[in-house]
This record gives sequence, structure tokens and C-alpha cells, in this order.
Amino acid sequence: MTEEQQLKLQAFLDGELPEKETRETASWMARDSEATALFNELRNTRRAFKDSEPTVRLPESREFYWSKIQREIERLTPASEPVKTRSFISRLRRILVPIGAVALLVLAGLLAVEQSGIFGGPAITPDSEMTVADSKAFTYHDYANGTTLVWVSYPAER
Amino acid sequence: MTTRLKSPFRRGLLALSCCLLAFATMAAHAKELKFQAQLVWATNTNTEKSVDHKLVDAPVRQKLEELPLKWKNYFLIHNVHFSVPQSGSKEAVLSKKCTIRIKDIDGKNFEISLIGKDKPVLKRTQSLPKGEMLVLGGNAPNSTAWLVVLKRIE
Repeated sequence: MTEEQQLKLQAFLDGELPEKETRETASWMARDSEATALFNELRNTRRAFKDSEPTVRLPESREFYWSKIQREIERLTPASEPVKTRSFISRLRRILVPIGAVALLVLAGLLAVEQSGIFGGPAITPDSEMTVADSKAFTYHDYANGTTLVWVSYPAER
Repeated sequence: MTTRLKSPFRRGLLALSCCLLAFATMAAHAKELKFQAQLVWATNTNTEKSVDHKLVDAPVRQKLEELPLKWKNYFLIHNVHFSVPQSGSKEAVLSKKCTIRIKDIDGKNFEISLIGKDKPVLKRTQSLPKGEMLVLGGNAPNSTAWLVVLKRIE
């Protein structure tokens, strides 16, 4: 007897076969004594298990008993931390803050490079700059009129 | 012609050409920076005695009078209008002994050199926005003074 046939007998015993297969299995058992013997053995074993199964009676109601188990499980299980949900603004801030910092650094670097004239450009200061020194020269700014006067010691002849 | 212009590609090409033309026109205008340089003689001499020279125009005179200068009259010796190419330099001869050279640095800042008797007298870097004036000056004989008035026109 194949394993499949044995499983079919078990299913027949448990009443799990469809009607057609139930009829076929019954007719097969009527013809095959080995199948009948195995079926009887399976039925006896099942009955033995069923008869020997201890019956436990609860001192309290079923609902109360299970509620006690549930409370005990809840007591022993550590309270799980609430899942932190990050808002859109906080996520945006996490991205924008480092980008902003980098942008500021780049801007500061560019300004420093421009002011120092590293790439060949002259260093322009907000104020004017005298590159040929004249120790006696003086400069006067009239900001209101937008006029600058530079007086030099150069002795001119008209 | 109308059908051709309806094509998005052709319309885009036309718009791009217009933009390029506008930019080219703007760039052509921005290429040159115009200046006016005046050699001025400052003196307390009366006007009657200096008939060979005319007085500086009123706006320049007004600005000069607001400076801490002691002279009563300012006579125009020579007046030069000249253009400085963008990122270039240009010299303007004001007299046989006085030349001014302007070098454009970045369109806002200029290197201004004063040359007297072929020798550098002063070299100065400063911004000179349109309408502002730079006056270079020095003492001259008989309690007079020479002035170079530099003004950016455009």
C-alpha cells in the first residue's frame, strides 16, 4: 500500500474526503482486506487517544481564565516605545540644515577668494587704495556730493 | 511664412535670435566707459586778468567750492572726453606735462594713474560710479594750484 493510499484512509476516517472519493474508498476497503485492517487500526488508535484525553475543569469561568492569561502576558511584555513619526518639516529640516551650512561655507569661501584675489583678480577693498605712495598726499571724501579730493605734493608748473 | 512660424522649433529659434541680438546690443553698449577729464587752474586772480581761459562750468565749480580748497576762481585749461574699453585702459593727455591714464578693473573700480613729465606721480585704485568726481590736485607757483577733475559720464 502506498503512502498516498494510507493518507486517503486517514482522510476517510476523518471524514475529509469528497463524496465521490468517499464512495470509491469504501468500495476499495470492501475489496482489500489490508486496507480494512489499516482503517480499523487507525480508528482504534483514534478512539484510544480520545478516551485517554484528560478532562480538566476550570475553577472559574472560561472568559475569566483567559482574561487572567492575557493580563499576565501584558504584564510580562515590556511596553513597546511609541513609534516616532517624523513630520515633513522635521525631515525637510534634516536635509536643509546641512545643505544650508555647506552653501554658507561655499559662499564664504568664494567671498574670501574674491577678496584675496587668488585667481588673478585684484583685491578690491571697499575704500580706495593708493598704490604709488606719496608721503605728503592726503585724501578727502565728500560722500554727500560724491567727490574725492587727492592732494599730492607734486610741484607743477603751469 | 505664417505656417513656418507656427512650428514651435522655429518660434523658439526666433525668440533665441532676438535674445542674442538684445544681449549683443547690450554688450556693445557696455564695452566702453566714458569719462571726462579737465585740467583746471585754481587761483585767486581776478577773472579780468585771465581772459584767455574760461571758468569751469557751474556744476564742477559748485563741487569744487564744497571741497576744502582756498581758491576763488577755477579756470579750465583743457577738457578731454574719452572712452575706456571694458577691462582695458586709456590715456588722456591734458597738457604737455600732464597725462591721466584710466584702467578698468571690473566696471566699477578703476586704476587711475597721473603722469607728470613722463613720470608716475600717483596711482590709485578706487570706485568711480557715474556722476561721481575725482579731483587730483597739487600746489603750483604763485599760490595757485593745478587740478585734474575726472568725472565718469557713462
